[in-house]
Amino acid sequence: MSDGRGHALVLRGLSKHYGAFTAVDKVSLEVGQGEFLTLLGPSGSGKTTILMAVAGFVAPTAGSILLDGSDITPLPPEKRNFGMVFQGYALFPHMTVADNVAFPLRVRRLSRADRDVKVRAALDLVQLGQFADRLPKQLSGGQQQRVALARALVFDPALLLLDEPLSALDKKLRAELQEELKALHKRVGRTFINVTHDQEEALSMSDRIAILNHGKLIQHGAPGALYERPRTRFVADFLGKSNFLEGIARVPTARGFTLEAGVHDIAVRLTEGEAPPPEGKRSLLSLRPEKIGLLTDGATAENVVGGSIVAWSYLGAGYSLRISTDTLGELRVVLPAWQASFAPAEGLPVRLGWSADAAVLVEDDAP
Amino acid sequence: MDGAHTPGPFGRGLAWATALYLVLPILIILPVALTDQRYLSLPQDGISFEHFRTVLSSPEWLGSIWQSFTIAIAATVLSVVAGTLCAIGCWRISRRATDLIRVLMLLPLIIPSIVYAIGLYRYFGPLGLLDRFAGVVLAHGVTGIPYVVITVSTALAGFDPRLEQAARGMGASLSQTLRWVILPRIAPGIFSGAIFAFIHSWDELVMVLFIASRDVFTLPRRIWDGINENLDPAMAAVAVLLILFTTLLLMADRALRRRSEG
Repeated sequence: MSDGRGHALVLRGLSKHYGAFTAVDKVSLEVGQGEFLTLLGPSGSGKTTILMAVAGFVAPTAGSILLDGSDITPLPPEKRNFGMVFQGYALFPHMTVADNVAFPLRVRRLSRADRDVKVRAALDLVQLGQFADRLPKQLSGGQQQRVALARALVFDPALLLLDEPLSALDKKLRAELQEELKALHKRVGRTFINVTHDQEEALSMSDRIAILNHGKLIQHGAPGALYERPRTRFVADFLGKSNFLEGIARVPTARGFTLEAGVHDIAVRLTEGEAPPPEGKRSLLSLRPEKIGLLTDGATAENVVGGSIVAWSYLGAGYSLRISTDTLGELRVVLPAWQASFAPAEGLPVRLGWSADAAVLVEDDAP
Repeated sequence: MDGAHTPGPFGRGLAWATALYLVLPILIILPVALTDQRYLSLPQDGISFEHFRTVLSSPEWLGSIWQSFTIAIAATVLSVVAGTLCAIGCWRISRRATDLIRVLMLLPLIIPSIVYAIGLYRYFGPLGLLDRFAGVVLAHGVTGIPYVVITVSTALAGFDPRLEQAARGMGASLSQTLRWVILPRIAPGIFSGAIFAFIHSWDELVMVLFIASRDVFTLPRRIWDGINENLDPAMAAVAVLLILFTTLLLMADRALRRRSEG
C-alpha cells in the first residue's frame, strides 16, 4: 500500500504434468504492473495449478516464472512475498481478526507498535476496523473474505493472488464484492491475479482475462475485446452465450464474405485487418443472442430469417427466446423487455435480423 | 428423540445391569476405605477417616505416590513429544508408508503388556536400566505413545491443510507455522493424549513388576504388595485417592475439549 506500484510477472512455457496427465500445457503469459488479470476456465482447465505455481505451492515440470525479470521458479512460497486469498479464506480460527491480519507482520518480526499501525490501516482499507477483536467464526462470509484480503495486503506483497475469492458467497453479495474488489485494486495499485470459473466475475472485475481449457491458454485480452472478438468456439461459448452458424465461405473480399449455410446466405463484414477465409473453406460464425433483433413488419436488416418461437423465458430485464428458423436451425435471442412490442408465445411467427458485422468468424476447437 | 425406538424392559434392564457392573466395584471401595475396622471390610459401628490418615502420614505410601507421580510426569513428556512429532510427520508426508508407521505406533496397545514386560526385562538388564527411574520412565513413555498418536492424529484430521499453506504463503518458516498455526490448533488433542499417557503410567503394574524391585516402588506396586501381604484398608483409601485423581484428570480433559469446541 506504500509504493503504489505493482510488479510485473511473466510465465514462460509453464507446464505441469502429473504422471501422464497434463494439468498445464506450455502456458506463456505476461502480467503487467498494477494489472488485474483473471485466469478463467472450467474446472480442470489448469487455472488453479497455474496460480499455485505462481504462489510456489506447485513446482512446475517445465518453464519458468519471472518477477520483474528475475527467475523465481525455485523459490519456496515463504520467500516469494506474495499475498494470497485462498478459496474458503483459510483464516486462522484460533486468532482474532487483528491477529490474523498481524500474522504476516509477526512473521517478519515487526515491532508491536508498527504492527498495530499497519493492521489498523489494513482493516480500515476493507472497512472492518470495528471487528478487530472478533474471531473469524463470528463474522459473515463477506466479512471473512475482507479479512482475508486485509491479511493478504498488509505486508505490501509484490502480487496479490486470489483463488476463487468469491465462490463461497451468495449471488447478491458476490456482485457487491466484485465492485469492492475492483475498487480496492484501484486504491492499492498492486498487481492482482485472480482465478475463477465465473465468467461474469471475470468480465466485471478484470483489466484482462486469460481463458484456459485443458491446460492450454486459448486466448487473452481485455474483457470487451474477448467478448466481442472470441477467437474460438470455446471462448465464444464459455464467455457469455453464443449461437454458432456453420457453412462454406464464398466470394471473400477484403471487406467481407458470404457464409453459405445450407440454402441460406449470411453476409459477414470483417473488421479492419482481419483476413477473410479462402473461397470454399468450411467456416464457423459466432453470433451473440443480444445482437439479433426482432424485425417489425416492413423493417429489414442485412441478414433476415423467418421462424417461430419454440420457448421463451422472462428474465426481468429482458426476454430470452429460442426460435426455430426456417433455414438456419435454432437460434437463441435475447432482447430487452422494454423493447419487445409483443407478448411472446410459443408458435408465434417472428422475423429475425442482424447486421453484417454482428457475427464473428471463429475457429472450431470443439472436441 | 421423536421417532426413536424406545427400549423394552429387557433392554432397559440389561443396560442398567451393565452400568452397575461397571460402577459397583469402584463404588464399593469408598465404604471399605471409610471402615472403622482394622481389616478390609464394610464399616460396622460408624465411619472413620483413620485409614486416610495412615496413608497420608506413612512415608512408604507418600514415597510411592511421589515416585509414581514423577515417573508419570516424565513418561508423559516423553510420550507427548514423540507421539506429537510422529503424528505431525505422518500427517505431513501422508503416504502409504506413513500409514504403516501409524499402525506400528499402536503396537504397544495391541501387544499384551506382559509380553512387552518380558522383552524389556531381557534388554534392560545389560543396559543397567532395571530398577531405575529412567528405565520405568522409558517403558511407560514408549507404551504411552499410542494414546498421543491417536488423539493428535484425530486433531490433525480436522485441520485444514490450507491453513498451513496460508501461513507459508505469508512468509512463515516451518517452525513458525508449527508454533503459531499447527500447535495451537491441535493443542486440545495433545492435552488429551497427555492425560491418557499420564493415567497409563500412573496405574501401570505389569511392567513395573518385571523391571523394578526395590528402588523404584510405584503406587500400583505398593497396592499389589499390600494385597498379597496383608489386608490393610489403607489400600482402599489409596484406591479412593487414585480414583479421585483420575476422575479430576478426565474432567479437566472434558472441560478443555468443550472449550475448544465451543
